[in-house]
Amino acid sequence: MKPKKDVPQGTLALMVLKTLDVLGPLHGYAVARRIEQISGDLLALNQGTLYPVLLRLEQEGAISSDWATSDNNRRARFYRLTRAGHKLLEIEKRDWEQTAAIIGRFFEVKAEDLV
Amino acid sequence: MRSVHRWFARLRNFMTGRRGDERLREELEEHLSMQTDENIRAGMSPGEARRQARLKLGGAEAVREEFHGEESLALLENLLRDSRYAMRQLRKSPGFTIPAVLTLALGIGATTAIFTLVEQVMLQSLPVARPDQLWRIGGQPHCCDWGGYSQDSDGEAGNWSLFSWEAFRLFRANTPGFQDLAALQAGNMPLVVQRSSSSGLPDTANGQYVSGNFFQTLGVSAWRGRLFVDADDLEGAPPVAVMSFHAWQEKYGSDPSVVGSTYRINRQAFTIIGVAPAGFIGAKVTSWGLPDIWMPLTAEPLMLGTTARIKNTRVDWLDLIGRVRPGANPKALQAQLQGELQGWLASHLADMSPQEKAVWQRQTLRLSPGGSGFSFLRRDYSEGLLLLMVTACCVLLVACANIANLLLARGLKNRQQTAVRVALGASRGRLVRNALLESATLSLIGGAAGVAVAWAGARLILYLAFHMMERTSWIPVQATPSTLVLLFALGVSVLTGAIFGMMPAWMSSQAEPVEALRGANREVAGGSHWAQKALVIAQAAVSLVLLSAAAMLGDSLRNLEHQNFGFDPNGRYLVSLGSPMLANYKQEQLVPLYRQIQDRFNAIPGVHSVSAATYAPMSGNQNGHDIRIQGKPEPNPKDDVSADWTRITPGFFETIGTSMVEGRTIDEGDNENTRHVAVVNEAFAKKFFGNQNPIGQHFGPGSMRNTGTYEIVGVVQSIHYVTWGFRDPARAMYYIPEAQTVPFDQRDLQSDELVSQNLWNIVIWAPEHPANMFSEVKNALAEVNPNLVMYDVQPYSRVIQETFDQQNMIASLAWLFGAVGLVLAAIGLYGVTAYGVEQRRSEIGVRMALGADRSSVTAMVLRGAFGQVGIGLGIGIPAAIGAGYLMSSQLFGVAPWNPLLLAGATLLLGLAALVAALIPAERAASTDPMQALRSE
Repeated sequence: MKPKKDVPQGTLALMVLKTLDVLGPLHGYAVARRIEQISGDLLALNQGTLYPVLLRLEQEGAISSDWATSDNNRRARFYRLTRAGHKLLEIEKRDWEQTAAIIGRFFEVKAEDLV
Repeated sequence: MRSVHRWFARLRNFMTGRRGDERLREELEEHLSMQTDENIRAGMSPGEARRQARLKLGGAEAVREEFHGEESLALLENLLRDSRYAMRQLRKSPGFTIPAVLTLALGIGATTAIFTLVEQVMLQSLPVARPDQLWRIGGQPHCCDWGGYSQDSDGEAGNWSLFSWEAFRLFRANTPGFQDLAALQAGNMPLVVQRSSSSGLPDTANGQYVSGNFFQTLGVSAWRGRLFVDADDLEGAPPVAVMSFHAWQEKYGSDPSVVGSTYRINRQAFTIIGVAPAGFIGAKVTSWGLPDIWMPLTAEPLMLGTTARIKNTRVDWLDLIGRVRPGANPKALQAQLQGELQGWLASHLADMSPQEKAVWQRQTLRLSPGGSGFSFLRRDYSEGLLLLMVTACCVLLVACANIANLLLARGLKNRQQTAVRVALGASRGRLVRNALLESATLSLIGGAAGVAVAWAGARLILYLAFHMMERTSWIPVQATPSTLVLLFALGVSVLTGAIFGMMPAWMSSQAEPVEALRGANREVAGGSHWAQKALVIAQAAVSLVLLSAAAMLGDSLRNLEHQNFGFDPNGRYLVSLGSPMLANYKQEQLVPLYRQIQDRFNAIPGVHSVSAATYAPMSGNQNGHDIRIQGKPEPNPKDDVSADWTRITPGFFETIGTSMVEGRTIDEGDNENTRHVAVVNEAFAKKFFGNQNPIGQHFGPGSMRNTGTYEIVGVVQSIHYVTWGFRDPARAMYYIPEAQTVPFDQRDLQSDELVSQNLWNIVIWAPEHPANMFSEVKNALAEVNPNLVMYDVQPYSRVIQETFDQQNMIASLAWLFGAVGLVLAAIGLYGVTAYGVEQRRSEIGVRMALGADRSSVTAMVLRGAFGQVGIGLGIGIPAAIGAGYLMSSQLFGVAPWNPLLLAGATLLLGLAALVAALIPAERAASTDPMQALRSE
């Protein structure tokens, strides 16, 4: 078994947004599963912690939710991205890429480049 | 933006009380079953599948907590929950809560009651538009008339506060810095008012002359009808008057037909053109004679004829108040007015006496903020109120100390529980917050009860200060709390809560979890906490200061009331009359009229003698002249040559109970056909003649050409005539007969000569105190003429008492506060001692088992208690002496350092402490050693 990593603070929301963006409306369990799948089962996710994040995003207006029937005929609450959510995702994504790029440069830099 | 969105969503949830618990439960349930299904599909047994699903989901309770935290306003919700908890705790222990709330109610109530008065007397503005723009000319407000072109007093350069009509008009016309400048009469004008169409007896009322722009300047508009305009204040304008709302309501039952009707005011026909708005009392704030009727200044000659002041430039009788133009600089305005005053004085050089000529150039004036008008209440009561405010705050502090003590004792008792809570993971912040919340809740309940106490207290104070119940006139101060007073009570409550809650909160934060492990009944620290002892020490000190202050004030009041006034108040009555002019008498009819009244009063059974005077002693009025002695040079401008004077009828000195020192008294032989005589008092003789014999000397008022006016025929004992200056030496005074008038050629002297023939006071000597004096006198007067106006008949002892109403109020309240402070301190001492005994039960048991007897245990407990009281006294005694020096201006005949009073206060405190400590000491002494040890 590969060692699993904790989910870094604040990134879970971004993952939720991106998942909903790619896959359309999903219920909570599906979101949790997809995040695990996409991360290649490398992330240790206490699935329960997803729900407070979903609530927060909903209260921020980034997602909305409603009861509906799932594929296997179960009643479940489905979450989907709102327009504000799309915008938020764009911003967060850009921020994240920027941060990642900056950090990346630090790792690529060699001593002779700095002379 | 997002966080705002989120905050609103939370607030909405919080307000609607919406809980997503159900939703979360369903979702988690759903989540679990999906995961379980998937696990089963992967080949697990159903039981294992569900277990794994649960593990993967994580702690459901933690999730719920986090979810809920996300959902609502956690901080606010916790706060609410905690205060509900505090309420529940308080309700559960009424034995603690009720005394605590009562104590707080007393403390907060006392402070708030005083503040109710402080607010109205010292902070409130007139109910007019933009009071901040109003400025008045003069420093302290003065009453009522001032004569001459110099307002020097007591050797100080004249600082003008009263003005003549001519000066007012000059200022008004030439000072553009004032948007408008108005004048009002500084005194008041007694009136009789009768509706033209009615035939009943006329009503008495208070009048005040004001300039035509008075109401406009203040920015007041009519409740009904209209108010004055400048056209109403022109000579020859039809006589009109404005009624106060209070008079309209009380005397005329809010009758709308009052406006537009004609009334006979002092026998002159006036049309009432309007009613001033409710709550408007004019620009003078006093406890006597608030105006019922306003009349234009130019109506004065109509009412007073030849004695009118309006054209007399030597008589200053107007207060001036103006609205300053926005942006105008008051300093510059004052300088300009100063110049105008000098210019006006310069135009009257020819009319000035030599003394006035010497000082007119140093006459000054000052501009003062006028938003609160001419407040005599503030002038007379602010020092006393300040003293009471400090006293009330001391009581509040003692009360705070008591509550803090109660809370501390409780906190110590609950130390075990607090330690358990800390051990179980309660955050210290939360514990401190809980402790503070409990104090705050307590103090807010106490504050609410305190407002009720304050209302009752303010009524009591008003009664003590103004004898509201006995008076027909009204004062502009109410006991009902205003918004500001309520805010004050709230502020005081929160502050006291913070003060007495600090200690217990701090103790909670010090709780050590390890104490929870030490077992329930093991005593760590013996006896009471050092903080408890410190509080008792502070209480003892403060209440000693309160007691000694109360004792000093009480002693001072006794000295004031029982000093030698130079006459004998026993069996004497003071009758106050209105001018007979109000009943249509002419000047020349006055002398026979008073003779008639005097004869009729003499016939009342039990009356020994009767005599009348322009003013009787301590009636609240005073007339003064600068005088000149025949054969002495013109006095220097700085010399004090003033003397008070009054007219009297024969038999006055005997009736008032004073005796002649030399010469003869004024008798029936002194009439219009004989030479003009005067009797002077000892102070007069000493002031003007030193060791010379004054009998046979001559003097006169005003100027050198009058020095031959009066011949001194007798010297009488000095009487303290005025209602102030009890520490000052007796004032020079002369008495002249009612039946003699002198024709003066100066207008102001002549006017005084005529006005003073109205004898406002009649003194009756009836040593047996016959019953129904009031109705007897009233009937006797009505027999002479039913239209004569009588205001009051009072025993002289009451007149004196009334003079010291304010001191009486202060002393009574100081005693009350002192008593409350003492009781609270005693309760505090009792509480701490009892707590200490309770805590040391096993120790005492051991001591007794080892042979200590009852008395040694009692002594041990008492020693502890008196140790604290002793330290308290050590701090309190110097503080009390200091307090005595601070309030020495309020004391009469009492030295600030007063060992006797201090010893008395100390003894009182000691007795209270003894009682408070003896009860727990007795209980300690009756400890059963076996039981005490077994309970360990």
